[in-house]
Amino acid sequence: MIYLNMIFTFFKIGLFSFGGGYAILAMIQQEVVLKNAWITEAEFVEIVAISQMTPGPIAINAATFIGYKKAGIGGSLLCTLGVILPSLLIMFAITVSYLKLKKLPWFQQIFKRLRLLSVGLIAAALVMILGHAVKDWYSVGIFVSCFLATWIFKLSPFMMLIVAAIFGMVFGIV
Amino acid sequence: MLLKIFLTFLKIGAFTIGGGYAMIPMIKREVCERQGWISEEEFLDGIAAAQTCPGPIAVNISIYAGYHVRGKIGMLVAVLGTILPSTISILAIAMLFQRYAEQALVQRAFTALKPAVVALIAVPLINMAQKSGMTLKNAWFPLAIAILVGLLHITPVYLILITILYAIWESRR
Repeated sequence: MIYLNMIFTFFKIGLFSFGGGYAILAMIQQEVVLKNAWITEAEFVEIVAISQMTPGPIAINAATFIGYKKAGIGGSLLCTLGVILPSLLIMFAITVSYLKLKKLPWFQQIFKRLRLLSVGLIAAALVMILGHAVKDWYSVGIFVSCFLATWIFKLSPFMMLIVAAIFGMVFGIV
Repeated sequence: MLLKIFLTFLKIGAFTIGGGYAMIPMIKREVCERQGWISEEEFLDGIAAAQTCPGPIAVNISIYAGYHVRGKIGMLVAVLGTILPSTISILAIAMLFQRYAEQALVQRAFTALKPAVVALIAVPLINMAQKSGMTLKNAWFPLAIAILVGLLHITPVYLILITILYAIWESRR
């Protein structure tokens, strides 16, 4: 039963994640943390950090990690399959007919609106983890420096996380 | 040919850290310039299509490219190549992580990694907001979405469905 629920949940996550990467996070939080309580909010933040330090799309990484945590290797494969299945079906249809579709007004309008929606979804993911991740002067300082390093000095997210991890190992207090 | 598709996307999957948009330049270099499988214009159409389709962008673009090179089989092989490195590396980490998660060094690293993740999401949020055609007039919409989903915990599913229906109604008016 848990397997069926997992593949269905990740199918839903794949199906309703527009705008890629970060917009997917709100949907994963909603389904995995709030609704099914398979992982906690703190674990969710850990998974996002790990996902960004390993190769591949964040949705695949999160699905594999959460699936493994809940139901071993079988679970991880099912969750991964679940999350890419909607892509396979819909992207196949779009690939075959995109040149025709992109001229249709309703198709253009949908994605104009969804682009704006995914900005809201990324903000929602941010709001949800903010309270768990930034709670004292130490974490505020790290947040501000990481933000400036990536936004102004264009440090890659990967390098930024590596530097943060090393900084934490040296100065962090558990 | 199938092996070549597989290996090319395996390489793309293995060497793009940070996911999503970070993978696009690498995919372009491999698929358009190195292998010459699809033209630059076709690739740009593919990116646009990949962004309109739900799901991870890297997976979507590999479906598009794989299909163009070798039909349905090419598409499946390309997807497999793209996700295999991430599945394997995450599995390895997940197995190790359960063993080492309690260690002080790992926990200390995460004291800094957690606020870093917030910054990680904040930067693309600003970039996306700039590119999405957001103005003072329509900023209420993403703001409302952020409040509904982030604070009131309403599932994005309904909001996405309503948005799609509204957009269709709007274009038919």
